[in-house]
Amino acid sequence: MSLRTILIIAHKELRDALRNRWFVFYTVAFSVLAMAMAYLSLAGSGMQGLAGFGRTTAGLVNLVILLVPLMGLSIAAPSLSGEQEQGTLAYLLAQPITRFEALFGKYLGLSTSLTAALAIGFGICGLGIAANGDTAGVGVYLTLVVMTFALGLAMLSVGILISTLTRKASPAIGMAIVVWLCLTLFSDLGLMGSALAFKLRIQDLFGLALINPLQVFKMSVLHSMNASLDVLGPAGIYATQAYGRWLSALFIGSILGWIILPLVLASLTFSRKSVS
Amino acid sequence: MRCRPSIWIWGAFIAIVGVVDLCASRVDAGSFNLQEAVDTAGPGDRISVPAGAYPGPLLINQSVELIAEPGTIIQGDGKGDVVQIHAPDVTLRGFIIRSTGKSLDRENAGITVLAPRVTIEDNVFEDVLFGVYLKKAHDSVIRNNRIGGKDLPVARRGDGIRLWYSPNSVVENNTVSNSRDVVIWFSNNTTIRDNTVTHGRYGLHFMYCDDTVLIGNHLEDNSVGAFLMYSRRLVLEDNRFIRNHGPSGYGVGLKEVDGVEAEDNLFAGNRVGIYFDNSPASVDMVQHFTRNVVAYNDIGLAFMPSIERNVFTDNNLIDNVEQVGVLGSGQLKNNQFVVDGRGNYWSDYTGFDLNGDGIGDISYKAQSLFENLMDREPKLRLFLFSPVQQAVELAAKAVPTFRPPVKITDEAPLMQPVPIFIETGSEPPVWPTATASLVLLLSASGLLMCGMTGTLARPSAAAGPTPMTEQPHSNPSKRTSEPILMAGRITKRFGRLTAVKDFDLDLRPGEAIALWGPNGAGKTTAMRCMLGLIRCRGTVTINGFDVRKRPKHAKRCVGYVPQELAFYDDWRAKELLGFFAKIKRVGRDRVSAVLDEVGLAEHASKRVGELSGGMKQRLALAAALLADPPILMLDELTANLDAAARDSFLGLLCRQRDLGKAILFTSHRLREIEALADGVLVMACGEVVSTCEPRKLAEALGLKSSLRLWIDPDRLNEAVQQLRTEGYDADRNGQTVRVKVRPDEKGKPLEALSAAGIAVRDFEVDSNDSKSATGCSEHGGAQ
Repeated sequence: MSLRTILIIAHKELRDALRNRWFVFYTVAFSVLAMAMAYLSLAGSGMQGLAGFGRTTAGLVNLVILLVPLMGLSIAAPSLSGEQEQGTLAYLLAQPITRFEALFGKYLGLSTSLTAALAIGFGICGLGIAANGDTAGVGVYLTLVVMTFALGLAMLSVGILISTLTRKASPAIGMAIVVWLCLTLFSDLGLMGSALAFKLRIQDLFGLALINPLQVFKMSVLHSMNASLDVLGPAGIYATQAYGRWLSALFIGSILGWIILPLVLASLTFSRKSVS
Repeated sequence: MRCRPSIWIWGAFIAIVGVVDLCASRVDAGSFNLQEAVDTAGPGDRISVPAGAYPGPLLINQSVELIAEPGTIIQGDGKGDVVQIHAPDVTLRGFIIRSTGKSLDRENAGITVLAPRVTIEDNVFEDVLFGVYLKKAHDSVIRNNRIGGKDLPVARRGDGIRLWYSPNSVVENNTVSNSRDVVIWFSNNTTIRDNTVTHGRYGLHFMYCDDTVLIGNHLEDNSVGAFLMYSRRLVLEDNRFIRNHGPSGYGVGLKEVDGVEAEDNLFAGNRVGIYFDNSPASVDMVQHFTRNVVAYNDIGLAFMPSIERNVFTDNNLIDNVEQVGVLGSGQLKNNQFVVDGRGNYWSDYTGFDLNGDGIGDISYKAQSLFENLMDREPKLRLFLFSPVQQAVELAAKAVPTFRPPVKITDEAPLMQPVPIFIETGSEPPVWPTATASLVLLLSASGLLMCGMTGTLARPSAAAGPTPMTEQPHSNPSKRTSEPILMAGRITKRFGRLTAVKDFDLDLRPGEAIALWGPNGAGKTTAMRCMLGLIRCRGTVTINGFDVRKRPKHAKRCVGYVPQELAFYDDWRAKELLGFFAKIKRVGRDRVSAVLDEVGLAEHASKRVGELSGGMKQRLALAAALLADPPILMLDELTANLDAAARDSFLGLLCRQRDLGKAILFTSHRLREIEALADGVLVMACGEVVSTCEPRKLAEALGLKSSLRLWIDPDRLNEAVQQLRTEGYDADRNGQTVRVKVRPDEKGKPLEALSAAGIAVRDFEVDSNDSKSATGCSEHGGAQ
């Protein structure tokens, strides 16, 4: 596997992303929504000097949970399948590159473009808030940024896996939207229902929540804001007391798993896939 | 050896300092006996205690005033109390009091006071289980003390300050940290003012303390800020209850208290800002909460369902995760949120103020299905800040039956927060945030610049085609006997359909082999198998490299032109070739060279989507030729070309063949095969059914061309009859006659009709009927 070839493919993906509308749309949408969220978070609370990034972060968590998975999945899912549908993938793979190089190159390029879009959004939002004089919790804010990047990478991995499982862009996007709905809504609804219906134990509830990368993202950011998860009630208190200082490592491990595992599965699937 | 003098110097210095320190301590302690001085003093005497360390425990049985010089220590022995005061009207000022015992049962304290009117001020308590303990010591004062508890788990610590049956006392301006509680029990008319209590269990714990005043206290980072119980007429002013986040985590908990008057307090970042449990307890009591800030708590105001007679006005409720919580089933009533037409500020109020009087025109209602669920099942708080929370709220708004009861209603919500001055300490600087944001923006810009300029992987301009050191046939001589491409028994099945079966091929340098067959014969599939695009059984070796095990090396020897030309349409032609040049590791100068070679130099700056089919075909060939590979694979090589372009393209390929390249191509056109191929593999239904020379292909397969003839409509039937008489397979097809002939005898039907006096106005040659020639079906094996 050649790093140079991966970089060439990554650069192509990055350049394609810059030419595509999605990059501009997502960047603008994320920046505007982040600014709006920050403004609303600060609007009624500036006088106490207790607000700032801590509260803004709480508002941004919701935005990130909804938007970033959608961005990652919808960008990555049609990346390989779309090219396969157009025939360009077969032509690309007929060149002297390996499938791993093609896959990782695409992933790297998509990661770079998504990260850049998010960084622009967070950068503009951060400057706006700093100009407003609200400063508390820059560490929390940076944690949010880094964890958002990680969540984006995880969703790209899942999207790439979807892409290797489909042959056309439309089914890939459809599957991506289903996955997005499952991650953002259905899994939590199911878990809520199970918690009520089956009287799930707190530790089981927390363990099941750890499976969902969006919950992991949320909990990790809240944990960095409050140094505990007490705000999340008994399950949060249990997590804080049971895992203590290992809680951060648990979250990072879970997110890393969501980045690496789908990518490995995608590699295996793609290496066995017939491309025509 | 060099360092030895410096070691001696340092050693001597440390020894001298130690000796001096030890001597000073011994001299002071030896020259003044504190216990004796107290015992021999008369009532009301003032004793100045020189600096030094005095052993505890110290018993004070005289009404004296003990004033310590700075640095005066009363050192306990780690057992029992350090100081016990048995006489009234004692003052103890300026001491450092250390090392009590650890017995919770015996309540070991830094100072235990057992008499009234005692003043404990300006002392520092270190390593004490209890700090100051007033037992039945009414009218006492505890002021300006700094109390630090023992390094023990909270449950094993004592109380920093404890008042027990000590009414009319004042506790002010003390700092207590790392103790258990500050306990005020059975002590009416106490004033608690300007104290700071941090990192304990209960910042303040009240029981049975009527007419008590709390002013200006800071209760931060405790498990509970203040828990006020079983007391009447309490005044809370200007206190800060911040980040009290233990399991219950109340800023202030009110349990069965009556007559609380709370003004200008801050309740921020607690689990619960203010907790109401049966408060007020008496039916004739009303409590007032005015101009307080309740902000950023998990729950702003938490009520047990039976709570009544609390009045809230001009408070700011800001960004509490849950502004109002009702813990348990039941509904709040008889609490008042409006006084004299003014309600409270609610940060989540979404109403409007048309008349501009600062009061919202519609009521604020605390009503949330998710909050109701959380109040009933606290474990559902895990789903806070999740989209499912919004989904539940949306469902409640959309479906009336889901809509929960209103928890509280504020008929006159304020549009702006009440301007309450609360000092919150110095704010951190702005620059870290601004710097971090700028770094983010610059990083993103850098990445995007890389994307625009291609600095991620720029090819060397001077680089030529990659030397194929591992490739024995990189410069093949024509017609060598060693095959450069070998395929052995390639078999590919798609479900039950066998697309390619036992396909064998040897292709030598300078040799051109055509795959010929009808649609579905397996030509393209076989070619894609050889390129490793499709997984298959069998072996493929290109230039000595197994295409599965070393695909990169193998494909580096192949230039591929696909049947369906799929390029990135928004790229310019030279950009596209530049991209493939980078992949193939050839210099940019090759891009110009191959564009020139295929006649596309003047179209280099056009976007691929703007090129005609023929130009795209040439572009594909240019891409294939970039690295000057020894093998060319072309699938339907002239599919998109007109006749002139086809000739030109064939000429190009013939030159490449003559230069020594091995060419494998598929085609439907007999003429192309005759012009380019040295041999033909005839495929049908996935199998090679025969091999032959190109010139004999038509004859070998019994191929026939179909001629379409335009004849005078009156003589169509006559023409058909005449042709049949001559032995041709002819029939009428609308206003034309269709006749099948051998490919090399297409003129003969025209001659026959002419001889019969039937004029042919026009004719057209249809493609070869390869299907009939190979005699196969599309779904079965060879027949």
